[in-house]
Amino acid sequence: MTKNILYIEDNPDNMLLVKRVLLAGGYNVLEAENGAQGISVAENQDVDLILLDINLPDIDGYEVARRLRSNEKRALAYTPIIAVTANALRGDAEKALEAGCDVYMSKPINVHELRARVEAFVPSPK
Amino acid sequence: MHAKSLAAALNPDVVSFISELECSGCGAKYSHEEIHTFCPICQSPLLVRYDLDLVRKQVDRNAFRCRQGRMWRWHELLPVKDPGNFVFLGEGDTALLHLPSLGKELGYPHLFVKDESSNPTGSFKARGLAAAVSKAKELGIKKVIIPTAGNAGGAMAAYAARAGIRALIYMPKDTQRSNIEESRMAGAEVVLVDGLISDAAGMAGEKARTEGWFDLSTFKEPYRTEGKKIMGYELAETYDWTLPDVIIYPTGGGTGLVGMWKAFAELEALGWLNNTKRPRMVVVQAEGCAPVVKAFEAGAAFCDFWINAHTLASGLRVPKSFADVLILKDLRESQGIAVAVSDASILEAQHQFGNLEGIFPAPEGAATLAALKMLIHQKWVHPEERIVLFNTGLGLKYLDNVQNQ
Repeated sequence: MTKNILYIEDNPDNMLLVKRVLLAGGYNVLEAENGAQGISVAENQDVDLILLDINLPDIDGYEVARRLRSNEKRALAYTPIIAVTANALRGDAEKALEAGCDVYMSKPINVHELRARVEAFVPSPK
Repeated sequence: MHAKSLAAALNPDVVSFISELECSGCGAKYSHEEIHTFCPICQSPLLVRYDLDLVRKQVDRNAFRCRQGRMWRWHELLPVKDPGNFVFLGEGDTALLHLPSLGKELGYPHLFVKDESSNPTGSFKARGLAAAVSKAKELGIKKVIIPTAGNAGGAMAAYAARAGIRALIYMPKDTQRSNIEESRMAGAEVVLVDGLISDAAGMAGEKARTEGWFDLSTFKEPYRTEGKKIMGYELAETYDWTLPDVIIYPTGGGTGLVGMWKAFAELEALGWLNNTKRPRMVVVQAEGCAPVVKAFEAGAAFCDFWINAHTLASGLRVPKSFADVLILKDLRESQGIAVAVSDASILEAQHQFGNLEGIFPAPEGAATLAALKMLIHQKWVHPEERIVLFNTGLGLKYLDNVQNQ
C-alpha cells in the first residue's frame, strides 16, 4: 500500500536530497514549496506523515503546524509532523513542539536519521 | 617556534600519510586535496584516513619521543602535508597528572587527569583548531567562521590570526567574557547571538552558505577531530604504549571522544600498542543538557534535540551534536557509559580539584570528577583500575560562571 509523505520545503537542494531518500525507501513524496500550498495538499490528499521546514516564504512552519492541527480534516490532528529547520532563531525546537510537531530535526539533515525518524512513524513499504 | 623552524626541527621525509576522506555514515570516499565539509550524499561527518600500512613500515613509534613540536610531533598521522602550513602556538603535550590526594580520598590510587588547560588559549579546543586552520591554510581558504559556546571561538581566532586568515565568530550572548575578549583581541569579528550554540550554528551556517565563509563547526569539516585525536596518542605514549582502563570525558560536540576512539583504532592497526585492551569511555554531560545520556539509556542510534538546554558548564550546552551517531557508536563499542551530573556537583568537584590537587579546572573538566563519584557509587569502576579524567580547560576563563553561583 502506498505511503504518502508530504514535504513542505522551499529550498530545492533540500527537497532533492530528502526526496531521493524517501523514494529509495519506497514512499511516495508529495511536494509543497510554501506553507499555504502545504496545507492545501494536506487537506486534499491522503497524507501519512508531514516533513515541515520552519523557514518558509509565506507563513512560517509553526503557523503551518498550528493550522494543520486545528484543521477541519480531523485526521490532520494526528498525522505525524517532523519539523526540519536550520534553527536560526532561539527556541525553534521548543516552538515547533509547542505548535504541534512531534519531532524536531536540525539541518543539515542526516539522511540515516531522517530514514529512521520517518520509519518510526510510517514503516517503509519496501 | 615558527612554522619553518618547526618544520626544520621535524625534518620529515614524508610529512603526512593522509590518503583520503571517508564518510562515517555511508562510506563514500573524497579527496583530501579538495575542500570538503561533510558528506554531500548522506550529510554525515567525514573522517580522515591514512595509509597506515606505510606508516607501520616507515615510522618507529619510539621516534616521537625524540621530536620537538608537541602536537605536530605526530605529523605523519595529521592531515597537513606541508610543514610550512603548520600553524603552531604550542598546542599539545599537555600534562598527565597523577591525583594522589583525590585518589586517596576516593580510594582510587590510580587516578589521573589529562590537563588540557595548558594548551594555547587555555583549552583543548586549541588542538582541533590548530589542525583545522592549518589544513584550511593548506587548501587556500581565506576566511573561516565558527559558532561556539566559547573556547572554540577563542582558539579559532588565535590560529586564524597566526595564519593570516579572516575569522568570524558567532557566540551566545551569555558567553563568558574571557572568550569574547580573547576572540576580539585576536582580530576576529564577533557576533553575539540571543540563543544557544545551536542557534549560533544556524546563523553561522547561513552566513557560510551566502557569503562563502568556510565553516569550522564541530564535525562540519574533517580536520578538527584529527587535532583532538592526538590526545589519545599522547596517552598511549605516556603509558608506555598501553591505554588506561577508563577515560571520563566531558562531551558537548564530542570531537575529543570520537577523535580518541579513532586514535585507539589507528594505534591498534599500526600495531603500536603493547596490549589491545581499549578503555571504557565515559560520556559526561550536565543534567540540564544531556542528549547523549538520554539516547544512550534509550538504546537509540541518535539523539533527540535537547529542549531548554541549561548548565553553567557552557561547553556542555550542546542540544544535539552533529556527530551524535558517531559518539553513541564509539561509546557502545567501548562498553562505556553516559552519565549526567548536576551543576551543584560540578561546582563541588571544582573546589575539590582546587583544594586537594591545586588544579582549577573548567566546569566541564570538574564534571568528570563529579561523574567519577557517581560511577564509584554505582560500582561501575574499580579501585585497581587506571582512570583518566579530562580537564578540558582553564577554570580562570569561567570566572563569570563561578562568581555567579
